[in-house]
Amino acid sequence: MHEFLAQLANGVELGAIYALIALGYTLVYGILELINFAHGDVYTFGSFVALGILVGLRAAGALHGAGLVLGITAALVAAILASALLNAGIERLAYRRLRKAPRLAPLITAIGVSFILENLIELWQGSAPVPFPNVIPNPQLQFGELEVGVQQIVVVALAIVTMVALHFFVQRSKLGKAMRAVAQDRDAASLVGINVDRTIAMTFLIAGALAGVAGFVGGVSFGSAWFLNGFGAGLRAFTAAVLGGIGNIAGAMLGGFLIGLLESFSTWLIGGQWSNVAVFSVLILVLVFRPSGLLGETLPEKV
Amino acid sequence: MDLPLSGADASVGTSTLDGIKLAVARANAQGVPGGFTFAVQALDDTQQGVHNPQQGASNVRTLIADDSVLAIIGPYNSNVAAAEIPITNQAGIVQISPSAVSDGLTLGKDAAMLRRANPGVNTFFRVCTTDSRQGSAAARFALDLKLKRAYIVDDNETYGLDLANVFARDFTKLGGTVLGRDHIAPDTQDFKALLLKIKGYKPDFIFFGGTTSTGGGLLRRQMFDVGMGKLAFMGGDGIPDIAEVAKKRADGTYYTVAAPNADRLPAAKRFVAAYKARFGSDVGPYSANAYAATQVAISAIEQAIETNGKKMPTRAEVLAKIPRNAKNEVLTPIGPISFDKNGDVRKPVISLYAIRNGRSSFIEQLNLSE
Amino acid sequence: MIYTYALVAIAACVAIERFHNRRAKTTIVLVLAVFLAVAPRFYGNDAVFSVLADAAVYVMLALGLNIVVGFAGLLDLGYAAFFAIGAYTYGMLASPQFGLHLPFWVLLFLAAALAALFGALLGAPTLRLHGDYLAIVTLGFGEIVPQIFQNLTKYTGGPNGIAALDVPTFFGHSFGASVMPYYYIALFGIAAALWLSRNLRESRLGRAWMAIREDELAAKHAGIDILRSKLAAFAIGASFSGIGGVLFAAKLALVSPDLFGFQVSVLIVSMLVLGGMGNIVGVVVGSLLLTIVNSALLPQINSLVDATFHTTVDLSNLHFLIYGAILVGIMLFRPEGLLPNRERRAELHHAGEAAADA
Repeated sequence: MHEFLAQLANGVELGAIYALIALGYTLVYGILELINFAHGDVYTFGSFVALGILVGLRAAGALHGAGLVLGITAALVAAILASALLNAGIERLAYRRLRKAPRLAPLITAIGVSFILENLIELWQGSAPVPFPNVIPNPQLQFGELEVGVQQIVVVALAIVTMVALHFFVQRSKLGKAMRAVAQDRDAASLVGINVDRTIAMTFLIAGALAGVAGFVGGVSFGSAWFLNGFGAGLRAFTAAVLGGIGNIAGAMLGGFLIGLLESFSTWLIGGQWSNVAVFSVLILVLVFRPSGLLGETLPEKV
Repeated sequence: MDLPLSGADASVGTSTLDGIKLAVARANAQGVPGGFTFAVQALDDTQQGVHNPQQGASNVRTLIADDSVLAIIGPYNSNVAAAEIPITNQAGIVQISPSAVSDGLTLGKDAAMLRRANPGVNTFFRVCTTDSRQGSAAARFALDLKLKRAYIVDDNETYGLDLANVFARDFTKLGGTVLGRDHIAPDTQDFKALLLKIKGYKPDFIFFGGTTSTGGGLLRRQMFDVGMGKLAFMGGDGIPDIAEVAKKRADGTYYTVAAPNADRLPAAKRFVAAYKARFGSDVGPYSANAYAATQVAISAIEQAIETNGKKMPTRAEVLAKIPRNAKNEVLTPIGPISFDKNGDVRKPVISLYAIRNGRSSFIEQLNLSE
Repeated sequence: MIYTYALVAIAACVAIERFHNRRAKTTIVLVLAVFLAVAPRFYGNDAVFSVLADAAVYVMLALGLNIVVGFAGLLDLGYAAFFAIGAYTYGMLASPQFGLHLPFWVLLFLAAALAALFGALLGAPTLRLHGDYLAIVTLGFGEIVPQIFQNLTKYTGGPNGIAALDVPTFFGHSFGASVMPYYYIALFGIAAALWLSRNLRESRLGRAWMAIREDELAAKHAGIDILRSKLAAFAIGASFSGIGGVLFAAKLALVSPDLFGFQVSVLIVSMLVLGGMGNIVGVVVGSLLLTIVNSALLPQINSLVDATFHTTVDLSNLHFLIYGAILVGIMLFRPEGLLPNRERRAELHHAGEAAADA
């Protein structure tokens, strides 16, 4: 029981990170039908920006008392801004020209952008993993049989706050409504006066911001950043988005948590080397029975 | 030479290449008999960021096609070596690897199969140790340290898995208990699930087969996140740089290196200083090995030039000058080197280091030839 | 030298694409075939033909994937799995691993059949999936297969893979250490794959694929057996890479799981898209180009640049960047690929707009 709960908590923590990244995939897919392969690397970039700020502040001796909270906030905000701008920049430079191109052209471009980003991050930070400062104190708390670290609570809380904020933003704000309209029918949206280009750019901005949050919490949780992190995490997060029903925001969150739990429990029960196999086997099985993912609408066949 | 120079292996690949460059620069500065100069032709054996046996084989063919190439340094990875050895064996050209540790490259039936084009000739040498030597030394060290109950984790790659296998076998043979084993998947970032599982077994220590970047660093770091920070952690020569990732949390890590204590070896100190002066960075985990491998190759080529009347020697003449016994040992930063008939270092020494206060300190060494 | 061969082949492909005259096309194909068969006697060395033989294997793979993606419009991001299945068929059945030493020629066909079987096995449950859902399932399959090979150490040698595979023989003559037999077999393989691709495209099945690709619902109403056509595409496409896998494994005399990762699947899809999907000649150009960049240009880029510009720059840590920039550059300036299929061009635009409307 004790170990079950510990694995459960770990799976939720891991899932929170995957869910944040998965949201970025799903938002972009919803609006452009593009698998943004570079999204994982935007996450890595966010991680490194946060890491850079924290290392800088620590060297300056600013991470004490109130400075610690300020420093953590600064790192988080910087990661959000940097990732958001990077993602929007990629859209502007690489994807916008390809809106009317054959479907696979943007996909290959995204893969190319991913390679470029990975290489640039490697040039910037080297090819070895870089330690992420332990800024959040991590005493273990006991709740009955369940033992969790403060760090875990912070990671999950931050992720959930972000997701709730996103939900209200998409449902309530004018821009959120515009995003949904463009996702549903781009031409009709533009007819009712929605600026499609701007809406798409904003979507990338938001997706990037989410990757920035993920980069920060991922750095805190894993204790390091590495130039190829985005590949593995991105693949699992994308799988999560598809599992939940790509394009569906609640689906991405659900999928993220499921994949996190699946990874944690498969490592526990059948061994770490099988965790990827378990994740993808479950994905294939789910899609066989629910071809549009768990929460995806069953697409009517084209009429 | 042939090494992984881009992608995930780039940092070790490049620092290994720098070791080669340093040895070549020094040889040229000292003057080569016959007025020749040595040059490094660097080929990258990664494809799309992953070291690739096919690319390695192709690179070795490129080098062999160039008549002025007399010796090949590399590769870094064992499975790349397995693809290259049949080709260098066929061509009769000296190949010295700084780091390919898999037993089957030089020993037993597997090695014989790799040499089947020219069964009587061995062209492949390595200055690193084998998995079996290192794994059994580690098992003895662990018991010396009174660590009796092991949980073994490896990165499920060539080097790590083989090392973990040998360790498991010898540790049990010597009376230790292996509580369980696990392999990790590539791209894993979260090791807490695994560590929580291990915690339930209450081991004395975790033995890790792998390198700092394939999970060693993160595993050690995340041990603190699940309340296992006080547990000892042990590995092979893939994790001497673990403090760079785990920082203060690396304390309590033990690792083995296939060389005598560097502090007592003047050649090692000189090498470290010269490397720093030239490249402005600390030596990589295999820079010294690469330097040593290149020194051996250069020494053989220079002797071959001398015996050939200061003219360009053939590849066979270079092969004949590879040091085989104590008399013609080459002095290197990792100790004096000569090879046995399989191509492995004679008189291997394995040293044990511990990390304390974020720094490596030498503990003891084991002379395996005794 | 390698560039000479690659350029001649690419130039010939472009010429074939430009000429409309059937006889001119046939002449170019014949001249190219004779050149590729005879020139090695006079020009080049083992290293060059080794890369060319590898390139030829990739051309075969790209032609196989072209059937799935280009013809039938089923996006497959895990094609390397079938390549792995082919290679491991040879690795496990023609090596000391189990003491089985089945002949190379038998295994070529066995691997093709096995890969086709797995193609159908993957295809069957996933046929209901549309577009990108199919892509992610195939991607997952592509991740699973090499990991299974990596984890089943007892049977597959695990991460070490299986080394010292059998050297093939031809009527009792061993291939020995020469790369030339592989080069010629691969050339022959390409020729067969081209011939098959062309005939398939013109066949009833080929027309069914195009119909499904353009509009599945309409195809269904027109009485096309969607299930069988899609399964056939998966199976035939996979069989090409089964054969490619055997050739690859026999030439390298080694199989290991890291040779068949996601990056290989991506590489092959990139070859298609870069060359011009659906267009057989374009696919050949795309795959030749990317293999040469990857296997010859990038690994040697330092010595090349230094020799040309008398510099000592270090470009080796820019490989990914250069490779990525090539992909992005070509896509931005030629979104339909270098040699888009003229007949499909209009369709593609139409399809693109339809997708955007959806």
